[in-house]
Amino acid sequence: MWWVGAGYKTRNVDPSALTPPSFLLLNSRPQLLLVISVTMAKDMTLLWASGSPPCWGVQIALEEKNLQGYNQKLLSVAKGEQKSKEVLEINPRGQLPAFKHGKIILNESYAACLYLENQFKSQGTQLIPEGAAEVGLMYQLIFEAQPLAQKIGEVLYYNWKVPEGERHDSAVQRNKEALKEEMKIWEGHLQGCGDFLVGKSFSLADVIIFPVFAYFIRNGGSEERYPNVAAYYKKLRDRPSIKKTWPPTWIDGPGMGTLKDI
Amino acid sequence: MAAKSMTLLWGSGSCPCWRAMIALEEKNLQGYNHKLLSFDKMEHKSQQVLDINPRGQLPSFKHGDNIVNDSYAICFYLESQFQNQGNRLIPDAAEERALMYQRMFEGQSFYEKLNNVIYYDLFVPEEERHASALSRNKEALKAELGLWEAHLQKSPGSFLAGSSFSLADVVVFPTMAYLFRFGLSEGRYPKLGEYYALLKDRPSIKASWPPHWLENPKGHEALKDF
Repeated sequence: MWWVGAGYKTRNVDPSALTPPSFLLLNSRPQLLLVISVTMAKDMTLLWASGSPPCWGVQIALEEKNLQGYNQKLLSVAKGEQKSKEVLEINPRGQLPAFKHGKIILNESYAACLYLENQFKSQGTQLIPEGAAEVGLMYQLIFEAQPLAQKIGEVLYYNWKVPEGERHDSAVQRNKEALKEEMKIWEGHLQGCGDFLVGKSFSLADVIIFPVFAYFIRNGGSEERYPNVAAYYKKLRDRPSIKKTWPPTWIDGPGMGTLKDI
Repeated sequence: MAAKSMTLLWGSGSCPCWRAMIALEEKNLQGYNHKLLSFDKMEHKSQQVLDINPRGQLPSFKHGDNIVNDSYAICFYLESQFQNQGNRLIPDAAEERALMYQRMFEGQSFYEKLNNVIYYDLFVPEEERHASALSRNKEALKAELGLWEAHLQKSPGSFLAGSSFSLADVVVFPTMAYLFRFGLSEGRYPKLGEYYALLKDRPSIKASWPPHWLENPKGHEALKDF
């Protein structure tokens, strides 16, 4: 699954922006845990594209698990940078996100998110709920979100994915209908939903699925036709981890209205 | 007993259904209620399925009041709820666990590329089919097979995540089995062949082998020339 981000200058986080830890000054466990988190985050590298829901999900997970300070590089899919040598060295498939933690490589966003929650269970937000019903619902929703993301891509990137000689209006139409049906399903899932997708707390379901809804709306998806989706989106967009990682290319103005008729 | 409060609606030969069944066997949850349905007769769109899964897809799975229909979701749910019974399917060591996750999700791409070749005519209406598209799909699958051959060459053990059987094998083995059902040459893909031979007699896999494959041992030839 690939995602287009607008051309953008690459930016690096300057790791020396954080004061080097001084053990002599540490006199409390929270400080010690912060140092350990920062140290672990320094062993992490994320290569990402702006506006890509899979990349955004990993960034939200890193924030929620208090792993700020990871090394990161913003790349441009429009310029084909996902096929650059530095990406291919981590991800031979030439796709983003590409994520490393020490020797561990996780290039699939769901893999990275699950790894981060399981590896850092005891720090930051607990992202997998307790209780069989909630666990079941969380896993069900994150995997149901895959056809949602796929169908958005089939509509938005039809001309990019399908060579000119193979395009058909019937296929374009079918893809639009499929996305419409899918959005109705999600509108139904969110009926009577609280602030979060699963129960009363933020979970991996929100980490993974919020970016997909945001992407839909960014690309012209109708808030009037899908009020439950819009309400969920509005409730979460100011959450610190989400606000902090908001796609930089989205701040410059509205997106394309490609999905306005869905 | 937990299995008695479980119901699985499934179809023979469906990789997603097979994954769920392997997981149930591995977790010692034999004895779950199940019903074999026919895709050909459109039984996946029948009311009994829609009552559990409004998308009208298989597998459809219930554990008490908990409905979990996606095969990967079923696998994660079962391992989380029954971690201490049957075989452990998620390794403890960080590196092995990470490799398991990585292979599981690469497995989705693998499955999709396989389907884009063997089910091309099923997915694409006649007037939209192009030889160029099918050809491209075949090249993509060939590249994918090369990746998995290399994954198995580099694996620290005989299984996808290393030296123990894990959820990566649960979800990817059915795709591997499909390759050989559709005529892939073990000579040309020796590591894939070894992996398939190692796992096809594993009890959980043997117990859940698609019944219609047993009835018709002769498969298809779509991948014979790969």
